[in-house]
Amino acid sequence: MNKNGIVYTIIFTFITAFFFVFFLALANDATEELVEQNKIVSVQSSVLKSIGKLPEGGASISEAYSSEFDSVPVPGDTIKTNIAGEDVLIRYFSGSGLWGTITGILAVDGSVSRIIGLDIISHNETPGLGGRIDEDWFKDQFKGERISSEGIKVVKGSGSADGDTENASVDGVTGASLTSTSMETIINKEIDYLKTEEAVQ
Amino acid sequence: MNEATPSAILKDNIWTNNPVFVQILGICSTLAVTNNLTNTFTMTVALVFVAALTNVTVSIIKSLIPRKVRMIVQTLIIAFYVIIVDILLRAYLPDVSKSLGPYVGLIITNCIIMGRAEAFAQANGPLLSFWDGVTSGLGYMWVLMIIAFIRELLGFGTLFGIPVMPEGFTKWTIMVMAPSAFFLLGTFLWIVKSIMLSKGGSK
Repeated sequence: MNKNGIVYTIIFTFITAFFFVFFLALANDATEELVEQNKIVSVQSSVLKSIGKLPEGGASISEAYSSEFDSVPVPGDTIKTNIAGEDVLIRYFSGSGLWGTITGILAVDGSVSRIIGLDIISHNETPGLGGRIDEDWFKDQFKGERISSEGIKVVKGSGSADGDTENASVDGVTGASLTSTSMETIINKEIDYLKTEEAVQ
Repeated sequence: MNEATPSAILKDNIWTNNPVFVQILGICSTLAVTNNLTNTFTMTVALVFVAALTNVTVSIIKSLIPRKVRMIVQTLIIAFYVIIVDILLRAYLPDVSKSLGPYVGLIITNCIIMGRAEAFAQANGPLLSFWDGVTSGLGYMWVLMIIAFIRELLGFGTLFGIPVMPEGFTKWTIMVMAPSAFFLLGTFLWIVKSIMLSKGGSK
């Protein structure tokens, strides 16, 4: 058969595409359960991290999680819980960043006056720039931060974390103003929602 | 590429015909990923893997590929291996997968892999092509690691995330951002070309 003829070309392309896609589908199918399991564990660990209860060392995240909560949240869910007599609202948020959706966990106290913790579950921000919102220095700034009437500000600071928990503002990521602004918008939207819909009076 | 012996290929890909500073390929990833060593390392390891396997595959089926759809088939093979890497990372190394994010997908567009498949694997046997893929990847890796070393050290004061600079060290914010990669790559090219020229002149 003529190797450069149209019939051979079409058949060859079809068979090659079929072959490779078949293997991809196979690999995807074989790992689907594991990936699903990893996703659940990642949500559980984010929830535990946001309230500062992530087990140390090799302890099982799933076990620690099920001892605190009954169900694993999906985006848009709010879980109410009680830690040391204080009401805590845990929100699985989802909002748009610069390149794609940012999802994560925001934990605030019952009256929505202080943030307890923040953790990022997934994002598509530029690695090394906006992607640094997933670094601990950025997320730790939110721990115990007071929520003012305007919410939380993400400002252009030194870019190396704002230790003051009373000023209702945190440092943005240097070189990633758009991602920092998106984070500010997302968090304030969630705070507004929690204040109006979920706050424990 | 006159004589395709393993040692000649190694020397070619690491130095005389280095994909980054001689062929100026893969520049977009050089600019994007080199602001920290961990990401650079994982990305380049993945690239070595994909380049080697793509070369082998292209080399094995090269006599079957019609010329018209050559490029498309190469892209398909590259995409296949990249997605396999992505799936494996997501299933078995979720933490690495999370920190790499969009990098893995970006390997598909790395011109080095396509360039080697087209220039080398199309004309050589599977074993040599495998070696060519590995060494091209390594040639890419060492240049990126040097740039990442300088950028992470000056930009964050850390190496592989471990602080190494003294307390009170002023971080060079520019090093974190893309422009610094241009400066460093330019300087790097200058130094390397000077060495190459002086070596050539002494002969």
